[in-house]
Amino acid sequence: MSLKPYFRNIYRVGRSIFVGMRITLRYFFHYKKRTVTIQYPHEHDSIPPRHRGVHYLETEKCVMCWKCAEICPVDCIYIEGVRGVDGPLKGGYRGQKATLFKFNVDYTVCIFCGLCEEPCPPKCIFLGPEYDLNATDRTLMEKSLLTDRIYTEEDEEFVKSARAESERRQEEKKRR
Amino acid sequence: VRQLVLAAAGLLGQARTVEDLAREHSTSPDQGGLQLQAFLQGLAEDLGVAAWLPEWLLVCASLLAVCVAVFAFICVFDLMAVWAERKVSAHMQCRLGPMEVGPHGVIQTMADGMKLLFKEDIVPRLADKPLYLVAPVLVFTGVLLRFVPLPFGRHLIASDMDLGLFFVASVGAVEVIGVIMAGWSSNNKWSLFGTMRTATQMVSYEIPIGLAFVAVIACAGSFSLVDISEAQGGWFWRWFIFRNPFLFFLAWIYFIASLAECKRSPFDLPEAESELVSGFHTEYSGMRFAFFFMAEYAAMYLVSGIAVAIFLGGWWTGLPFLDGIGLGDGSSSLAMGLGFVLKACVFVGKAFFLVFVQMWIRWTLPRVRLDQMMYVCWKVLLPASLVCLLGSTLWALIF
Repeated sequence: MSLKPYFRNIYRVGRSIFVGMRITLRYFFHYKKRTVTIQYPHEHDSIPPRHRGVHYLETEKCVMCWKCAEICPVDCIYIEGVRGVDGPLKGGYRGQKATLFKFNVDYTVCIFCGLCEEPCPPKCIFLGPEYDLNATDRTLMEKSLLTDRIYTEEDEEFVKSARAESERRQEEKKRR
Repeated sequence: VRQLVLAAAGLLGQARTVEDLAREHSTSPDQGGLQLQAFLQGLAEDLGVAAWLPEWLLVCASLLAVCVAVFAFICVFDLMAVWAERKVSAHMQCRLGPMEVGPHGVIQTMADGMKLLFKEDIVPRLADKPLYLVAPVLVFTGVLLRFVPLPFGRHLIASDMDLGLFFVASVGAVEVIGVIMAGWSSNNKWSLFGTMRTATQMVSYEIPIGLAFVAVIACAGSFSLVDISEAQGGWFWRWFIFRNPFLFFLAWIYFIASLAECKRSPFDLPEAESELVSGFHTEYSGMRFAFFFMAEYAAMYLVSGIAVAIFLGGWWTGLPFLDGIGLGDGSSSLAMGLGFVLKACVFVGKAFFLVFVQMWIRWTLPRVRLDQMMYVCWKVLLPASLVCLLGSTLWALIF
């Protein structure tokens, strides 16, 4: 019986341990360059351009046709308002052809499928980039989409920069 | 001036001067040192308390004080080590680890400890209750006891026993009994498997460790960890790891076996998470689990500390001109204090480095199989340590 395989085995074990430990030590000292963790509440990962997050409604354009609420597979859009009223109404939001009192989405129900975007005649409802959704109570998850804001150039800029950031990160990942 | 002369002499390679000086002083441990137990008993006598208290009560009180001191060290060390382990593992895996509680998450372990403290202490219905409740205490005691003869610096030691190293080797069995009790009384198959593995592993790996101890004892001519460390003064090639080639190999053997002894990866079979949930402490929760956890981390420091004391030159820096600070007869109290602190820092620093190496190994190597574990012990480490023991004793006889 030869002792050669026995000693070769020991040598190989020692050598592979040495190689492995060298690699982990290198990672340990260069962790700043390689860390992939994103400290979530303090910093956000860039979202992909077609991310489906919280809805954004362009109240000005809405004609209150109910098509989004009808197509919604889980029936989570609740709309109340008056069509074709010209004068300002107390507590309402003026659209081009309607005055809205309520345009709520229940986010405990919504599945973020994006079907509501499709049939909208003036194309005024979108799934936006936001994804921070938390609340201390169930009822707080039903959120109103009614705002005085309209989709401005600033928003456009934001979307563009988010897209660029995302592309940059993708590139970085590829390089790694 | 004498100090400078000594340092110069040391620099010129006459390291033996400092070494002899150190040996002289080892006979008078009061010199700039602190042996906690002896100190406390002396204090009681000085205060006149000893006259009207029975002796056994004095001994008990001083032992209690020693326990509290060691326990405090273990607690602080655990808080640091658990955080360090999480950070080391994170950085080796391209993560950040705990970041929220305190700067870079340093207080995270404290928060976790508080959580464990407030958790419910669950005892399984079919568990063997008395054994189940005592087991974590025994495991922790086994580790705590082994801290007693371990120095933290030159003459900074809980109690300098004549049979220190022997005590360390033998009291380790208390921990094994505790682990076996925990696994058996839990009435859980994972615990039982973990226990069986622990029993085989810890009992087998005690043999190479024991042989490494014997070789060192033969070289130093003493069982006391203080004497063994003291004998390694001078230049760093006087450390036992560099004393002869056989001891060099024995140091590596001791380190590998000590990984198995404190159930660290790659020998973490007793609590293999992916196979046995968490082995012998599967059923434990709350503070009883925390005791197992603390015992594991304390054992990491313990085996590292012993490796430092017996192989890596104890509290000596390995450079005589640094070691000589505060050793001479005429040296000022400032120099003595400085030397004392320096030596304590050197000892604890070396031990911390070995703890880091243990973490480094854990996050690099995969777990070995049970048969591989036995193979490593009985077919590699045991013959190698026997050969090294023979070789190093012969070396000591010849040279």
